[in-house]
Amino acid sequence: MHWRHVAKVVGVLTIALASTMLIPLLVGLFYKDGSARTFVMAIAGTLAGGAVLIFCGRGDRSDYVSQREGMAIVALGWTLAGLFGALPFYFEGHFPTFTDAFFESVSGFTTTGASVLTDIEAVPKGILLWRSLIQWLGGMGIIVLGIAILPFLGVGGMQLYKAEVPTPVPDKLQPRIRDTAMILWKVYALITVLEIFALWGGGMSVYDAVNHALTTLPTGGFSTQNASVAQFDSAYFDVVISFFMLLAGVNFSLHYQMLRGKPLAFWRDSECRFFLGAVAVLTIVVSLDIWHSVYASLGDALRYGLFQVVSIVTTTGYATADYEQWPAMSQLILLLCMFLGASAGSTGGGMKCLRIMLCFKFCYKELFSLIHPRAVSHVKIAGKTVPDDVLRSVLGFLSLYMGLFGLCTVLLAGLGVDFVTAFGAVAATIGNIGPGFGMVGPVENYAAIPYLGKWLLIWCMLLGRLEIFTVVILLVPEFYRK
Amino acid sequence: MKIIIIGAGEVGFHIASHLALENKDVVIVDKNANALRRVSDNLDVQVLQGSGSSPTVLEEAGLRSAEIMLAVTNSDEANLVACLVANIVSPSTKKLARIRNADYDDYHGTFRENAPYIDTVINPDIEVVKTIDRMMTVPGAVDVGEFADGRIKFVGIKVDEDSPLNRVQLIDLPGRLDGIRLLIAAIMRDEELIIPRGKDRLMAGDLVYFITASEQLETTLATLGKQEEPLRRVLIIGGGRIGYRLASVLEERNLSCKIIEKDSAKCDRLADRLNKAVVLHGDGSDQSLLAEENVGDMDTVVTLTNDEETNILASLLTRRMGIRKCITRISKFSYFPLMATIGIEQVVSPRLSAINSIIQHVRRGKVLSAMSIKGEQAEIMEAVAMETSAIVGKPLRSVGIPKGALVAAVMRQDHIIIPSGETVIEPDDRIIIVSRREAIPQVEKILAVKLEFF
Repeated sequence: MHWRHVAKVVGVLTIALASTMLIPLLVGLFYKDGSARTFVMAIAGTLAGGAVLIFCGRGDRSDYVSQREGMAIVALGWTLAGLFGALPFYFEGHFPTFTDAFFESVSGFTTTGASVLTDIEAVPKGILLWRSLIQWLGGMGIIVLGIAILPFLGVGGMQLYKAEVPTPVPDKLQPRIRDTAMILWKVYALITVLEIFALWGGGMSVYDAVNHALTTLPTGGFSTQNASVAQFDSAYFDVVISFFMLLAGVNFSLHYQMLRGKPLAFWRDSECRFFLGAVAVLTIVVSLDIWHSVYASLGDALRYGLFQVVSIVTTTGYATADYEQWPAMSQLILLLCMFLGASAGSTGGGMKCLRIMLCFKFCYKELFSLIHPRAVSHVKIAGKTVPDDVLRSVLGFLSLYMGLFGLCTVLLAGLGVDFVTAFGAVAATIGNIGPGFGMVGPVENYAAIPYLGKWLLIWCMLLGRLEIFTVVILLVPEFYRK
Repeated sequence: MKIIIIGAGEVGFHIASHLALENKDVVIVDKNANALRRVSDNLDVQVLQGSGSSPTVLEEAGLRSAEIMLAVTNSDEANLVACLVANIVSPSTKKLARIRNADYDDYHGTFRENAPYIDTVINPDIEVVKTIDRMMTVPGAVDVGEFADGRIKFVGIKVDEDSPLNRVQLIDLPGRLDGIRLLIAAIMRDEELIIPRGKDRLMAGDLVYFITASEQLETTLATLGKQEEPLRRVLIIGGGRIGYRLASVLEERNLSCKIIEKDSAKCDRLADRLNKAVVLHGDGSDQSLLAEENVGDMDTVVTLTNDEETNILASLLTRRMGIRKCITRISKFSYFPLMATIGIEQVVSPRLSAINSIIQHVRRGKVLSAMSIKGEQAEIMEAVAMETSAIVGKPLRSVGIPKGALVAAVMRQDHIIIPSGETVIEPDDRIIIVSRREAIPQVEKILAVKLEFF
């Protein structure tokens, strides 16, 4: 294990992060909201941190990154991004403790969207933009961005890529990892710009349009309004945002294929079909459930049902309605959506549709072989056999996910949080959704969670964003053995 | 530049790693998922599972936009079919195939002009036999290469304690060797390759690569204390494809030659095809057999079995029995760094030969040949200076030769110039450049035709 190399790479990433703080700095200057000074201090702090890391990594000459180092770089990189990203929040003063600032920052980078802010609108605009911007950076992945723009990460970039984007079946769009990373970021940026125009065109202010686009595409869910998207109370915005959340929940390589003139790519991809089908079915069921019982007209039921199902299943976490007032079945469906998550290769979190599909198919294969004990059958996706080791890692992922979910729920409840809140908060953070149930429902926030509980949830958010293995492996003693 | 490689075996893997480090777009196609996993875990290239002779797979790999396709699977037939199909899918893509069966030897030209239109057929066995031949004939050489149609030789020798080169600073070199122009192109010291500058000092234990005109080679080597020893008797251990080829070359030259082969059926075939060589049935690492055949009297032993561990053991064994020159065939690249430590210096590898003959076709500019130096840390290229490339028309010092690269020799019409900073390259000169691996992309750039001329 070359710790110096790890320190050097993470140091360079930290300095790159400092440079992104210039954007909210300029916005702060433009609005004269007094946040510019905060950012100057934060940039100084981040640069200093990066310099210390690079100093620790001096004399490093290795140009090879092993899988182990890749995981260490990614896990450490994300933790430090959260730490330095918290500096503007901490210096600004709306966050009572550093824990709160760190929670907000990790919630941003991991695109969770869980907030500890009670009065969002009172926070200066520069700070709110930073809050949205870190979600946007975290959405496609800070390491992937690093690979795209920092040439020295090219060697060994694949190891980093695999540690940050651990899809069950990785697909490389271009022979070189750098080009792949570049394409993903370009597609991501393009769709973001489209959404800005769609929202702005519908009458939202430029500032709000930019912020909401920056948090929709990463399926983040931070809003500039206390009441989230409900504040605008416009069917047009609901539909536009639902549409872009769906786009963000689809594998980005499909967007790339579509832009290259293959419009049927969405339909040909079995995971995408599964994802869109699940959204359609669940929306209909939820809408029928809340029609009459909550909303008088079918139109309203559909509008709110669709938005909420899409928002939760893509793990965005915007709210247009307090779903805790809905019938129990709809609430449970939304809870299960938190586990389902979006597609692999999208910016969404959760367990990912592909894994659930593979799990279903695997179970069916087991049943099938009980009926035909001598049959030779394979689990297939799009006509191709899925190798056994991929299936094994999927099953391992699902059991670790559920196991850690159970463990964290018990720990959180042990800190004095009630049953429903503990369950909802862990599900919503490990799945990177944001709003949960009980004390952390769509109209409340995470401010009331005890101090230690916040640290636990910070860890859950990182677990969910880096898809368990990369984070958990740091706890395995074998990892540090020479 | 996009390159598709069919076959993720040792050759495919190493060519891919070569090219990926030079920032080329590489796609590797193979049927075997495990071989592909090794590739995707270690290299920044795209992998695709499937048959290289399937048109759909080739389309998916992006053959239409590829400049070069290399067919380097283990099977000659698979390589031929892949080229045939590739020719249908995308005729403009340059095709290279590795074909090893000796029966195809006379048809390489036919393949170029007829149906599969394979631009270059590579038979590493031929290259290996040539390399062995050069190593046998150049005394003391650890590595020998040829450029400019054999007129310039590139030789690697070990500096001994009592060598005139020991402890000499390169600046002083011309004075030490009476009248011989010797250009040291690279030094291998403790597994590290150095492109030397005037202040560097040679040390005992260094492996020194120099460039010299072929007709001067003998005198040069004599001055360096490497005397020519007559080559009369050769022992070949391993009678496979390469062993047979080598034996027939030696037969033609009327050298006495013995082949030891373990497999009796192979022995029968060898005895049937060879007339003068003595074919022995037995194990090449069997000491009593070697003693019985008076191995100590042999001039050179070449170990060529398919099992490299056997080759290494047989070489060490025969060396202990008094043979001074052993040439060992090694295929696993990870063994190369070990060889010097255990005292095996002359190593040939069919895979390395295949890679050498392939990379020259991948280079931009008019590169005539290229070979990589042991351990693949550097490459030597022979190129034609074109009128519009950056290297022409300026004194070399202002061309901007990248760090880690060196213009080692220039061939103008028939005479060889050892260049200095003031030398001006003229169009149609042949230049020989030594370059460390990381400097290769920049070297390619100065050799290539400048774009504004199109």
